[in-house]
Amino acid sequence: MEDDISISKGIIEQLVEGTIDDDNVDRLLKLPKKDSDRFFTYIEVLQERVSWNDPILLRLSDKLYIVSKGHGKRVTQCECGFEFGDYRTNWKLTSKIRTRKTAEEMKAVYDPAPAVPEAGWQEVREYFCPECATQHAVEVVPPGYPVMFEMLPDLDKFYADYLGRPLSDASEDWYQDKTAETTATWNQ
Amino acid sequence: MATIAKEINNEVSSVSELSPPTLRQAVDKRDELTESSGHYYGVKELSLKASDPIKYERFYSKIHSSVLGARESARFVAASPGSREMGECLWGITTAEGDTLAVSTGFLSHTAIFPVAVRYMAANDYDVNDGIEDGDVYGVSDGLTGGVPHPGDFYSFVPICIEGEVVAWAVGINHLMENGAPVAGSWATFSVDTFMDGLVVPPMRTGRKLKQETWWKAMWERRTRAGTMNILDDKMRLAGCAMIHEATHKLIDEFGLDYYKQAIREIVEESRRRVVDNMKSTMVPGTYNGAAFRMAQYKGLQTIWSHADKNTLIHIRASVEPNENGLMVDTEGTSRWGNHAYNATPGATDAALFLGMINSFSHNTKVTAGIELAVQRNYPKGSILNPDNEYTSNANPWAQTITLNNIGFGAVSRAMFCFGYLEEAFCVDGNWGAWQGQGTAKDGTAYGFTNFEWLGGSARGAWCFKDGEPLAWAAWSQMATIGDAEEFESTVPPMFYLGRKLLPGYFGAGKYRGGPGESAVHWCVEPGKHIGITRPNGGLSSTASVALGMNGAYPGPSSFMISARGTNLDEVNEKGLAPRDARELLEMTDSGELKVDDLQVWKMDCPELSMKNNDLFVDAAGSSGGWGDPLDRDPNAVIEDLNSGVCPDYDFVKEMHGVIAEQAPNGSWTLDQASTDAKRVDLRKKRLSESSDLKDWWVEERDIVQNAAFFPEVGLMYNESLSFDKFRKEFTSFWNLPLEFNVLEG
Repeated sequence: MEDDISISKGIIEQLVEGTIDDDNVDRLLKLPKKDSDRFFTYIEVLQERVSWNDPILLRLSDKLYIVSKGHGKRVTQCECGFEFGDYRTNWKLTSKIRTRKTAEEMKAVYDPAPAVPEAGWQEVREYFCPECATQHAVEVVPPGYPVMFEMLPDLDKFYADYLGRPLSDASEDWYQDKTAETTATWNQ
Repeated sequence: MATIAKEINNEVSSVSELSPPTLRQAVDKRDELTESSGHYYGVKELSLKASDPIKYERFYSKIHSSVLGARESARFVAASPGSREMGECLWGITTAEGDTLAVSTGFLSHTAIFPVAVRYMAANDYDVNDGIEDGDVYGVSDGLTGGVPHPGDFYSFVPICIEGEVVAWAVGINHLMENGAPVAGSWATFSVDTFMDGLVVPPMRTGRKLKQETWWKAMWERRTRAGTMNILDDKMRLAGCAMIHEATHKLIDEFGLDYYKQAIREIVEESRRRVVDNMKSTMVPGTYNGAAFRMAQYKGLQTIWSHADKNTLIHIRASVEPNENGLMVDTEGTSRWGNHAYNATPGATDAALFLGMINSFSHNTKVTAGIELAVQRNYPKGSILNPDNEYTSNANPWAQTITLNNIGFGAVSRAMFCFGYLEEAFCVDGNWGAWQGQGTAKDGTAYGFTNFEWLGGSARGAWCFKDGEPLAWAAWSQMATIGDAEEFESTVPPMFYLGRKLLPGYFGAGKYRGGPGESAVHWCVEPGKHIGITRPNGGLSSTASVALGMNGAYPGPSSFMISARGTNLDEVNEKGLAPRDARELLEMTDSGELKVDDLQVWKMDCPELSMKNNDLFVDAAGSSGGWGDPLDRDPNAVIEDLNSGVCPDYDFVKEMHGVIAEQAPNGSWTLDQASTDAKRVDLRKKRLSESSDLKDWWVEERDIVQNAAFFPEVGLMYNESLSFDKFRKEFTSFWNLPLEFNVLEG
C-alpha cells in the first residue's frame, strides 16, 4: 500500500463550505488512496461550525448529525439544536412533512411542466425540521409508501473496526432499527 | 495479417485423468477453492508479485494493453457509428472460468457478466459434447444464458486454448444499431416475452479459426434491419478478439503456461483485496436504503396479447450494507416480473449495479473479477431482477436496472459523505435516452436504426459542494460523448436536427442544482414511404429518476418527449424561426406561432409514431438531481442562473430559493438582498404552517393504505412487493398493520 497522506484542515473546511477550487477537488479525486485521518479532521471542522457542544459522532446530511448526549444517549440533532430523538428511530418520524400530491402542487418544484411526476402515481414529500424549517429530505414515491429510513449507521463497528477508536458506550444494542417501536404506538 | 494464423491446438474431446480439465471441472475447482478459503482460487499469498513485482506488473501490462489496443484499433477498422463514434463497445480477457482479468475503456460494467455465458457453456458441456477449439467464435445476446443487459448488446467470445485446454477467453461487445425485434431498434419498448425481443441467441458457435461462418452473415442480413452495420460491428468485435487472442498466445509463449496460470489467480485476488480495502476505508458501515419507480404503460396498446394489456408500476428497492468482505446489496422487495419489456436477469442486473461499484472501488487497482467477489448480491427468485420464468422479455431492463445502480452508487456516495470524503459525494441520478425505429425509403430500401446520443452523455447530479455539470458523465462509460449530430443524420436519412442543446430549468433543485438535462428537436424531411420511431429510455416513466433526493434537494425530473405531427414548419422557417428544444417548442405552440395538428406530450414510452414531412420529434432526457436545501442556495448563484438562462423562470426560482431580484430593461437580473432575506424567512414560516407533524400525517395516510385509496396499479405494486418477506415486514410494521395485510384489489 502507498504511504499514508494527510489533507490539510483548510482544504476540508473549503469542501464543507463549498469554496474549494476545481484543481484541489481534482487532486483529491485522484488520490491513489484516501487519507486515513480525514474523518476526525472532518468532525473537528464540523464541531467548530455548530453552536452546541454535544460531540458529533457522525454527519448524516448537510445539517443533520448524530451526537452523543452522554449517559448512553445518542440522538439525531439538527444544526439548529433541535433533537429528533434516538438515532435508531428514523428521524423523519419527528419531523414536519409537506406532501405535494397534485400536478399543480408539484409544478412548484419541477420545471418544465412535462417533467413533473404524474399525480396519482407519485407524490413529493418534503421533511422539515420543526424548529428551523430546514428541508432535510425529499422523497418522490407513490402514495402509501412507507417513510424511508435512509441510513442507519453501525457506529460502534465504525469507530472500533474502521477508525480504531471504540466509543465508550459501545453496545450491540446500538445497531438496530427502532422505528417500528414508535409507529406501533401511534394508532392506539 | 497480424491478428490471424494461430494454429489450432488440440480439441478437448474426452475426459480422462490425463486430459486437461473440462470447463465444468475448471469452474467447480475455482468455486471450491474460492469458497473454502475466502480468497480467489485459494490464493492466500501473492507470491509472484512479492518475488518479482516488475515481472508481475510487466505481465499484467501486456494483458491490459492487449484489450486497450483491441478497442482503439478494431472500432476504427469496421464499425457502426454507435461503436466508432460514441465508443459503445468494450473488449476484455477472462480466465477459463470467465473471470475478468482486464477490460478496455468503454462499457466497463460488462466485466461482471462475462462469467454467465462461460458458466452456461461449462454447465452444458459445450467442450465435451461439441469441442471447443482455439480461435472458435461464439456469439451471445441472451440475458438468461449470457447475462446480456439487453439484446441490443451483442457479445463475441473467442476461446484461447493451449494443448487442448481453454486457458482464457477474449471477449468483445458492442451495442447494435438494430436487433430485429417487432418494435424496431435495439430496445423493444413493447415486448411480451423473449420471443419479441429480437435476435436473441444463447452462446452459440458462429465461426472457427478466427473467422465467422457464412451462415452467420446471412443471419444479420435476414434477421435484423441494419444488416450492413451489424456485420461491420461483428467484424469489429472479432478483430479485437483476434488481437487479444494473438497477444495472449505470445504472452504465454514468453512467460510460460505455469506462470500464466498462477499470475492470473494472483491478479484477481490482488484486486479483490484492494477493492475490499477501498470499501472499508471509505464507507461508514450501516444500512443504506433506496428506492426507485418506473411506469410501464401497456394498457390499451394492443388487442393481441390479452395477458399484457395492463399498466405496471415497477418498484426497485435495495439496501446496501458494507461488511467484512465488501458490501451486500439486497434487492428484496423489488417488483415481480411481468409481461413487459423491462424484466432483467441476474447478469443484466449485475451489468447495471457494477457501474457504480467499479467506478467507486476499482479506480486504483486492476479492473478484474475481484470486485465481483467483494459485492454480494441478493436478487430474489421471482423478482423482476431474477424471474422464475425463462421466457420473460428482457428487451429493456436497462430502463429500470439503471435505477438500481443509482441506489447502490448513491449509497456509496452517502457513505463517503458521512466519512468526510466530500469530493466523492454527489447525487447519483444518471439517466439515459435514445430513439430508434425503422423506415422504408422512397426507392423501397428498408432500414432500421438507433440514435444513441443521450446514452452517451447525461448530466451529473449536484456535488455536495458545487452544482452538477451537464453532459459530463455516463455512468456506463468513462468517456461521455453524445456523438456528432451529422453521424446520426446520415444513419437515419429523413431525420435532421433542428436543435440540440441543454434544456433550461431541467434539473433537480437544491442548495446545489443538478446539471441541466438535454433536449433535441428532430425534423422529419421527405421520409419516403414510411418512418416509425419509438423512444427507449430510462427516465421516461412519469416518475423522478430515484425516490430519494440528497439531503433536502429534489431528485432529477422525469424524461419526456413530444411528437408534433402536421405542422406549419415551412411558414415558421420562412420567418427565420425554429424550435430548438422542448421548451421552445411548447412556447411556440402555446403562442400559436407553430401550428400543430397532433401535439402529444409523452411521459411514458410511446407506441411507434409514424412521421411525415415536417413532423417534429422532440425529447428531453439526461437530467439529474440536486444536493441540499434549496433555501440554502447562494442567492448570487440563482441570479447567475437567471442571467445565463440556465433557469429561465423567475417566478419558479423566487419560490424555490426565496430569491428576490429586479430585472433591468436589457433583461439582466440584479439581486435584492434585503428582500431575499425577508422572503426566505417567509418561506421557512410557510414550510411550517403548510406541513403536518409526521404522526398526524401518518394517521391520515394509514387510512388511505387500508382503504387502497389510490390507483389500482399502485395497489398491485404493493402486493407484488409484499410477497417478499423483508418488504412485508417493513411495510406492515411502519403502518402498524397485521403482518398478513395485503392491499385491497378492486
